[in-house]
Amino acid sequence: MLEVSALAKSFGSQSVLRDVSLTLPAGEVLAVLGRSGGGKTTLLKIIAGLEAPDAGTLHLAGHDLRPLPPNQRQLVYLYQEPLLFPHLTVFENIAFGLRIRKVANGKITQQVNQLLDELDLREHAQKAPHQLSGGQRQRVSFGRALIIRPRLLLLDEPFGNLDAQTRADMQQLFLRVRQQHQMTAIFVTHDSREALTVGSRFAYLEQGQLTTFASKADFVRDARTNIQQEVRFWESISRTEN
Amino acid sequence: MHSRLLIGLLMLLFGLPFGLLGLLALAQGWHFPQALPPAYSLAALRTLGAADSELLAGLGRSLLLAGTVALLATAGGFGVARAVARSRWSRQWEAASYLPYALPPVLLATLVQPFIIRLQLSGSGGGVVLGLLLVALPFATLLLRSFWSVQAREYEQLARTLGCSARQAFGRVLLPLAWPLLRTTLFQTFLLAWFDFGLTNVLSVGKVRTLTVQVFSYVGEANTALAAVASLLLVLPPALLLGLNRTALWRRPG
Repeated sequence: MLEVSALAKSFGSQSVLRDVSLTLPAGEVLAVLGRSGGGKTTLLKIIAGLEAPDAGTLHLAGHDLRPLPPNQRQLVYLYQEPLLFPHLTVFENIAFGLRIRKVANGKITQQVNQLLDELDLREHAQKAPHQLSGGQRQRVSFGRALIIRPRLLLLDEPFGNLDAQTRADMQQLFLRVRQQHQMTAIFVTHDSREALTVGSRFAYLEQGQLTTFASKADFVRDARTNIQQEVRFWESISRTEN
Repeated sequence: MHSRLLIGLLMLLFGLPFGLLGLLALAQGWHFPQALPPAYSLAALRTLGAADSELLAGLGRSLLLAGTVALLATAGGFGVARAVARSRWSRQWEAASYLPYALPPVLLATLVQPFIIRLQLSGSGGGVVLGLLLVALPFATLLLRSFWSVQAREYEQLARTLGCSARQAFGRVLLPLAWPLLRTTLFQTFLLAWFDFGLTNVLSVGKVRTLTVQVFSYVGEANTALAAVASLLLVLPPALLLGLNRTALWRRPG
């Protein structure tokens, strides 16, 4: 479904992405692991149309994405911060994309209420964003993206600012929502555990170079992901306990 | 208790000039060391009701000039602040915004006057607006610069991916987000233009008689009653604006 080929991007003399290629079939979630400054955000922004690539091609369902502005790509980019619109209620935040598309009021109410129920936010519908907890805000942000039925969801460390428990809850919610909506997504994270939890395909991005893995086992085996090291750490802890 | 006392004192301090100006406007033959006027008259206030009232015309002129300057400076400052924030030389541009404050307004007016004359705007309201914008626009730019942070850009980009055109992202997301700061900037630039005397007087060569110019003129003529009425008119709109804007000025931290 998404095909990225030989993508390159530099800012001044600094090369941020080098010859990045990937293929992502519909309904799959590509977890991209990498450290800060590796080019993850730039990759997502280029796919979303928020940055222009220096070279390379981007195709979604066979169509060239490059000539399309971000609002015509039907791809939603989600930041680490939920970035809810403070002047709108929870209901109106979720309805935002439909209002832009001039959907009829009746349909908006029905679709937003359905999503509010799905995300367990019904009782907060008329609240202002500042009255919500971090996890609730991120759920509203999800709802606002899902309601426009994006062809591809681009998630830039969306749970990075949440505490461990809320983060785990949000990962489970993401899995549930992904299944219900048969979502295709690229999920960028620097947390290998999160990558393994949410991804169905895996890649590693370092200094602008992307490595994709044929299987989860290959991803786990790659020394750069640090997963083996972490497994050994927990095993040693477990042995000490026993 | 302490805060109530403080508010009471502040109200008294704020209300005192109004009381004094009211007394001066109504007083007749009030000389030192009399504590209060010996007689009162509505004669000075009645001039407001006259068909050719110079004071009411001055009020209208001041409102028009200050309103135009506030609108142009705020709208222009919003755009310039965005350009400054996204420029490679944003720090240098920001420093340059302080330049108009390196000179006293009268000196600034003297320096720009040759240009105003060449534009054939000398002695006109347009010339005064242009002169005031030289001060108000950088002021608005500096005030609004803080809005154009990385987060504003992220909001804009998010709105674009949610389906907004550039214009929709501006109107539906950026403007509402910036509105509290825009309102404060409108208010501040209005006051800046409203109370200006030196720049207006020099650039208009005495022809654009705003309320501030009239106050100085009446004071020069020792016409205390009319000076007091003009001063009352001068402080009323800002007081009204302050009242309207109080929710923005004293909003509780969220």
